[in-house]
Amino acid sequence: MDLLDLIDAVQSVADGVLFGATYSLLGIGFTLIFGVMHKINLSYAAASIGAAYASLLVMSVVQAPAVLAFVAAAAAGGVIGGLVYLVGFRFIPLANPLATLMSTVGLLLLIDEIIVHATAGVPLNYPALFSDVIVQVGPFGLRGDLMFVFALGCVCMVVLLLLLYRTRLGLATRAVSQQPTASLLCGISTTRVNVLTFVITGIVGGIAGAMTGAAIGMLSPLLSLPLTVKGLIVTVIGGLGSIPGAIIAGLIVGGLENAFQFFRGVSERDLYIMLLLFAFLVFRPGGIFARSAGRD
Amino acid sequence: MFEVSDIVAAYGQIEALKGVSLKVESGKITCLLGPNGAGKTTLMMTIAGILQPRRGSIRLEGAELTGLTPARIVSRGVALVPENRLVFPEMSVRENLLAGAYQRRDRAGVDSDIERMYARFPRLKERREQMAGTLSGGEQQMLAVARALMSRPRLLLMDEPSLGLAPLIVAEIFDIIAELNRDGTTIFLVEQNAHMALKVAHQFFLMEQGRITFSGTPGQLAEDEVIQRAYLGSRRAAG
Repeated sequence: MDLLDLIDAVQSVADGVLFGATYSLLGIGFTLIFGVMHKINLSYAAASIGAAYASLLVMSVVQAPAVLAFVAAAAAGGVIGGLVYLVGFRFIPLANPLATLMSTVGLLLLIDEIIVHATAGVPLNYPALFSDVIVQVGPFGLRGDLMFVFALGCVCMVVLLLLLYRTRLGLATRAVSQQPTASLLCGISTTRVNVLTFVITGIVGGIAGAMTGAAIGMLSPLLSLPLTVKGLIVTVIGGLGSIPGAIIAGLIVGGLENAFQFFRGVSERDLYIMLLLFAFLVFRPGGIFARSAGRD
Repeated sequence: MFEVSDIVAAYGQIEALKGVSLKVESGKITCLLGPNGAGKTTLMMTIAGILQPRRGSIRLEGAELTGLTPARIVSRGVALVPENRLVFPEMSVRENLLAGAYQRRDRAGVDSDIERMYARFPRLKERREQMAGTLSGGEQQMLAVARALMSRPRLLLMDEPSLGLAPLIVAEIFDIIAELNRDGTTIFLVEQNAHMALKVAHQFFLMEQGRITFSGTPGQLAEDEVIQRAYLGSRRAAG
């Protein structure tokens, strides 16, 4: 491999890491919901894409700068998150582990169908920010739109961590995820915490959906399934329930995805990501920050 | 006065409480003894609102608690120190105390109460930034008691506070119980350790198979018999 190839490879990985912030946010969403309810919400990535679509609807009605798309996606994400809880969790028997898995698969398909029907399945352009900016660092060029996506992702993570570790709601959320019975005894309403977790992760998901649209330049209903899978992979690699794990795993998956794409082509790319998932499930089922599994 | 009357509670078809009635006098330590499976923990969880009774009523100073959410029951002044302590393992000692004060909005009052807890439980002060999951069993029990006290309860319920603790620590926990009571807290205690419980209690109830089978003061029944019935139940004689 000559120097130019190497530069291209590094460039590709760097782009992937920047885009990986999207995966980190989705991983955090999966992880937070799992943390408080011990349930996987499979409709999460589809809802995030749905929220980005909803922001396009807002943008088509009002003339507004592109930034508003992100705000609208966040708001739509929060609303959809609340609805997902209401339809997929509130009245579903939580003691049955399969019930909410099925209800959220149903919601995933429902959201996808709504998108396909509303757009006739045609991809729609999504407004990007700073797409005309390229920061030159030596031989590498960092795309402005990707850097914006990465920066926005980082801001979301910091805000989320502050919310979790510096506020009363965050204390309640952690309490419910660690010891639900004791939370009730402390006077914490678990239902309220659950609803708010869905709304907040929905907001984060909406932003992640808008970030995806902005980074790719368009939205397509074909995005929701790969994002669901990537989000789950990030959650497993990061360790279910671990927020720092989800952040790091998202960036790693983003970077590796582009590395595999660079060396093996786009059609083989996801193959290796799946293999990575299996490697983690076998050797480090607790995620990157857990101790490696004892092989006995 | 705290009053439980004719409480029936069940898990599916199985009745765990078959009409339990008892009274806890304000300012006293009342103890509930009984063998495993008698329904003592079920009664505590029902009083705290975690389980809903099929029937019956629970009243504190005349005000009905039955049917309220656990959060409302805490705000009415009832706090439970649960069996096995149930501290929040990945929160610091201080955060556990803050969680106990979740319903209170008076920041200054909460802060000064945390300092009071540190004064009463110096070991918690030493470990205030440590994760609760890393504390010893005795320290976790103290934390669970302190956490419950953070809601400023009028009635403190304790479920097996001596469970799994070394004898020296058990003695310390019972000293604390007596001390809390001297400061004016009404205490309703479930215990396996009948000997220790009878030393501090003003009044006690025996519970067997979901029913109250004896009530009285510690002197009223020979300790041998209490211990026998508390551990083994009296059904042996009946059949």
